[in-house]
Amino acid sequence: MRVLGLELNKDRDIERIHSSGVNTLDIEPVERRYMLSGGSDGVIVLYDLENSSRQPYYTCKALCSIGRNHADVHKYSVETVQWYPHDTGMFTSSSFDKTLKVWDTNTLQTADVFNFEETVYSHHMSPVATKHCLVAVGTRGPKVQLCDLKSGSCSHILQGHRQEILAVSWSPRNDYILATASGDSRVKLWDVRRASGCLITLDQHNGEKSQAAESANTAHNGKVNGLRFTDDGLHLLTVGTDNRMRLWNSSSGENTLVNYGKVCNNSKKGLKFTVSCGCSSEFVFVPYGSTIAVYTIFSGEQITLLKGHYKSVDCCVFQSDFQTKTKSRLNQAFQDAWSSSDEEG
Amino acid sequence: MSRKRHRLVSEILGLKRRRERGPVDADPLRGESGSARAAVTELVRLFPRGLFEDELPPIALRSQVYSLVPDRTVADRQLELQEQGEIRVIQLGFDLDAHGIIFTEDYRTRVLKACDSRPCAGAVQKFLASVLPACGGLSFQQDQMTQTFGFRDSEITHLVNAGVLTVRDAGSWWLAVPGAGRFIKYFVKGRQAVLGMVRKARYRELLLSELLGRRAPATVRLGLAYHVHDLIGAQLVDCISTTSGTLLRLPET
Repeated sequence: MRVLGLELNKDRDIERIHSSGVNTLDIEPVERRYMLSGGSDGVIVLYDLENSSRQPYYTCKALCSIGRNHADVHKYSVETVQWYPHDTGMFTSSSFDKTLKVWDTNTLQTADVFNFEETVYSHHMSPVATKHCLVAVGTRGPKVQLCDLKSGSCSHILQGHRQEILAVSWSPRNDYILATASGDSRVKLWDVRRASGCLITLDQHNGEKSQAAESANTAHNGKVNGLRFTDDGLHLLTVGTDNRMRLWNSSSGENTLVNYGKVCNNSKKGLKFTVSCGCSSEFVFVPYGSTIAVYTIFSGEQITLLKGHYKSVDCCVFQSDFQTKTKSRLNQAFQDAWSSSDEEG
Repeated sequence: MSRKRHRLVSEILGLKRRRERGPVDADPLRGESGSARAAVTELVRLFPRGLFEDELPPIALRSQVYSLVPDRTVADRQLELQEQGEIRVIQLGFDLDAHGIIFTEDYRTRVLKACDSRPCAGAVQKFLASVLPACGGLSFQQDQMTQTFGFRDSEITHLVNAGVLTVRDAGSWWLAVPGAGRFIKYFVKGRQAVLGMVRKARYRELLLSELLGRRAPATVRLGLAYHVHDLIGAQLVDCISTTSGTLLRLPET
């Protein structure tokens, strides 16, 4: 099981471009070769992860970057970057400067900009949707905004949360299902075609499902700041500032009661964690202080802590082909590649 | 010369072994791979009944169950199943995460005794008879109480006054134990005191056997073993096994 043998890769390194913390990473889903990173300085960098030199030791080169001297660079910290799910011609980035920018990769110019009233914490575009090009945006306000890339405007708003939306994620199984996590301790599942409100508000106690109960249901005992569907879309993982991670059945909204123990989390904004894909038993990788904690998703067992960064880890992404997982650090723009020992192949 | 040394060594080892066995026998803090129910039975024995003059049912905590059943997911799922019958899980007010576990029989007898001659007795008896067996959850909703079980607002007020229900939100209540306030006060103070004992130790770590052997400070009314189970299960201390036994160490953060 190669994931069990993950360790810091001494041979592979990633070029340091960021001068401050890296907040977000995304590897494009088509070839899994190019990676985007967004930093606290507003800089976005594009890397090529493939090793084209014959040497075992190489540094992943940064192909291009949107630096501080670029005309359209974000003014403040970039919180989320995401490749366009269908090809690498486009990517989106959202930032604390209250904008969501759509970039053309070849020319590195903004194709479109969406402005919001509040700082943007997170955005996500559906990885499977073919019938719509909606980007869900979570801001400091309690309304989830859906922006349409085709028309260039915010098509609609989902109401129901009471505080800031810290994380949003589309289901990889169903084109229209969206999950949102908020600072009011609630996680809601929405069908964006419905006008009447959310489908389910997740309840950690699995109590009675009734109209009145919806307002009292909480998913965590603190802010919910991380959200991720498993690859098959059947389950949803959430992390909260109550130091817990929970696994939910995404169709019924039931808490599966898998207990991961204390998952330290005192992030005031989103916590970006990732799951493995393609392994026989799936793992979740969560930033835990300056390490990454690896848990088996369905049994809750903590497998290991991956140590290697010097300061706190902000986010990580998983690439299944080489079993690498890059992660990044606050205050030291360092990205490490982790791989299992028999990586070359 | 060498023979003398051998004897000395074996004498010392013998003494050590004898001393070791003492605390080890009395030490139930090994990871028992039993069921959650067995763990709760075990823990309920640690609860000091005399302290509350038998008014409170013996309460065990979920975190204590985690210290005895090593796999938390299994423990949670077993408790969830048990909830339908013999065990109730109660929300203790001080921490949204801390759940108390009580045997239903104990809970029923104590609650009836507590509101024996008071005007709320009728409502409480109706509650215990109809609602408790039907709903196994931690909380109750307004429409559930009024429509399904036919409680009037005045009866619900009686229940809150009796201490059986605590307000959670508008139209939503937690199940509660009457008179649990004193227990919670002793528990929170005792937990802080035991954590303080570990914190003041050199290098902020203590051998479990040494901690249990010390005299409990006056604020610890529920017993050191009770609190240690809770601290281990709630991951407020790290449990490290060493050659001299289990070591409790405060986590870095």
